[in-house]
Amino acid sequence: MKGISHFAIGLAAASCFPAAVRAGAEGNPLYFILAGIFGLLPDTLDFKFIRFLYKSELGVIPDPLRPDAQPIADAVALAVARAHAENRNVNVKLNTIKLAADRWQRYQVRFDVPGRRVCVSYGLVVDTGGNPIRGAVAPVVAEACVPLPCGIEIEYLATTDVDIFDGPVYRMEPTRDGRVRPVFIPWHRNWTHSFVTAFIFGLAGAAIWDAAAGGVIFAAFAAHALADQLGYLGSNLFAPFSRRRTPGLKLMHATWALPNFAAVWLSGLLIFWNLARDTTGGISGMNPLRYVFFAGALPLLAFALMVKEEPLEGPGQGQSASQARES
Amino acid sequence: MLLVALSATLGAALAAVLACIPGLHIYNVMAFIVLAAHAQAAAGAPFPIEVLMPLMIGMTVGWSLGGTIPSILLAAPDESALYTVLPGQKFLMAGRGREAVMLTSAGGLVALFILMLVFAPLAPRLVPFAETVMRPHVHWVVWAVICFMLMSEWPKGGRLSLGGWGTFLDGWKTTGSGLLTFLLSGLLGFVLVYRSPVAPEYAFQNLMPAFVGLFTLPWLLLNLVSAVEIPAQQEGEKFGAGWREVLQGGYAGTVGGGFAAFIPVVTGGIGGMLAGHATALRDDRVFLVSQGASRLTYFVGGLLLFFIPGIGLTRGGAAWMLSGLCSPHGYYEYFMAFAAVGLAGGTAFLMLGPLTRGTLWLMQRCGYRPISAVTLGVCVALVLYMTGFMGLIVLAVATGIGLLPVLLGSRRMNCLGVILLPMACNMSGSGPAVAKWLGLL
Repeated sequence: MKGISHFAIGLAAASCFPAAVRAGAEGNPLYFILAGIFGLLPDTLDFKFIRFLYKSELGVIPDPLRPDAQPIADAVALAVARAHAENRNVNVKLNTIKLAADRWQRYQVRFDVPGRRVCVSYGLVVDTGGNPIRGAVAPVVAEACVPLPCGIEIEYLATTDVDIFDGPVYRMEPTRDGRVRPVFIPWHRNWTHSFVTAFIFGLAGAAIWDAAAGGVIFAAFAAHALADQLGYLGSNLFAPFSRRRTPGLKLMHATWALPNFAAVWLSGLLIFWNLARDTTGGISGMNPLRYVFFAGALPLLAFALMVKEEPLEGPGQGQSASQARES
Repeated sequence: MLLVALSATLGAALAAVLACIPGLHIYNVMAFIVLAAHAQAAAGAPFPIEVLMPLMIGMTVGWSLGGTIPSILLAAPDESALYTVLPGQKFLMAGRGREAVMLTSAGGLVALFILMLVFAPLAPRLVPFAETVMRPHVHWVVWAVICFMLMSEWPKGGRLSLGGWGTFLDGWKTTGSGLLTFLLSGLLGFVLVYRSPVAPEYAFQNLMPAFVGLFTLPWLLLNLVSAVEIPAQQEGEKFGAGWREVLQGGYAGTVGGGFAAFIPVVTGGIGGMLAGHATALRDDRVFLVSQGASRLTYFVGGLLLFFIPGIGLTRGGAAWMLSGLCSPHGYYEYFMAFAAVGLAGGTAFLMLGPLTRGTLWLMQRCGYRPISAVTLGVCVALVLYMTGFMGLIVLAVATGIGLLPVLLGSRRMNCLGVILLPMACNMSGSGPAVAKWLGLL
């Protein structure tokens, strides 16, 4: 989900704590500030710290002036081969191709599991929003396919579009059965999206402030991980006690408009309900069913009629790296 | 009734034209009308309410819609339109400047319809209750907005490397400059709120030089330095979005603008940003529509809150100015206000086409650079006229801060620290302590 959805869910979680609501009404913003910060903190840690510090052994910098898919496919294949031969993890970073200030050349990396090969093809020229640019001519580049020395175990998606900002890292992980598992952006959704980390942060919050602050921090942080489980990638929910991400429920993509809007809107409604409950005479005039129908269902239905989401992909199909980035 | 219609139409037409002058905020013009109204009242011949209210409403509507033109075509926005600059520039450089103005205006029109058809019948029932519930909690909402604004800045650096501390430092350039911009803007805000160098006789325009410096001048300076050439603009009334895009953007923008209108200190630019995030807008066309809707809802919706019978919420400069002149009592003024909004909206919308064509004609005849130079001159002259020499000093400082995001690629919205930081501190009761710590008290 997008950052604002996590942020709003965090605030909504805080509003469920009567101590936070009372403090807010008395002019103390602490609990809600903590909720917002810790609601967004898992992604902040991942994308503003860990991503930059995570080291890759191999990197591909495609030349914008001489488009060629072959070196990209070669690099991915080399990483797989090295991981397989040396029985160790090998990180490879696939950099994006920036053509101009708001112009990016998209390319697609596809693991052909039955064919035991990796294929790279060039796609459309897109803007920073990931939208195809009208009138921009994409280069005609032949698809490059390179055979792999071993089988591939797909954990996430077989196809990735690399387009805007920073490109993805793959960690090529040897498996016990002699295959290699490409782990997509391995620095993302590990200990930062774990209930254990949420608990530790919560404890620290309780020690620094009070039990309510600890509860708010835990709830906001854990709600982030839970919300992310609705998507594809999943999170390592029990790190450091577990080592791999638990796959998501695959119900939505992080960039979809409706789930994000619904998360923010419903969080807003929950916050308002909880604040009204604390207001003298506030809740008495509110019928919960009417509230849910008129303030929740109708506006969301209206929005749902306006948006057109991209379809959910089936197993083994692609997702843009930028979509995952926003998750 | 005729008087109401004429005043609203006149106000909208006047404001739509004035909106094409970058740097001139309609509140500055309204302030002179208010002074004139006070003088008339003191002389025993006050302006009739049927003239004053619709005139001010018409001006707000006309300016909300007309302000699209300088933001997109001249890259000279006010704070509520700052998000339209980058997508607007993209359209302009692709020869589609007129289309960008139309998209943004379409958003304003959607917002206008939502205000008239949904907000008008529901507001008297819902807003007083919402206000009662939210009043003690507004301070933390503002703090939450600040936190989100700062935390959601995306680091743009750190590409093309294999990771490590070097990558980290490179990656943090934009994020760091965003934080620095917010901090410096906030400090400037504290100075202006607690010990403004602007002379007391100009106090009602206290923030104007800072806003012009932070939001309007940096792009104009960049236009001058970079010698950018504007390509020929496409002819015809091409409109690159379908009904779905217009409705989605309009709806999102209205929600964001409504939030900004209701919560004090949160501006239309922030409302637009929140709406864009909340509805995952990635398409520039939808984004422009949403910004137009957000801007109109922020200014007009905020003013309409003042007319809700029984509560008279003052949100935004226009409502504050009107509150000094009159106080609406019941549904007569409420429905008069909506009638004025409808008429003014129609008038301003019809004027946008000719005004856009006129601005483009002027740009192509005179060149983008000379137009930017003249615009810059107009802005500086306005600041000097309205706030005196010390206003120019504030303008210079604010421009320096406003250049940081333009040059370092961080978000320009961080400049809103100028009002967010001091106001949030004041709302939480810590403002005077911070001001004292800064040596301002």
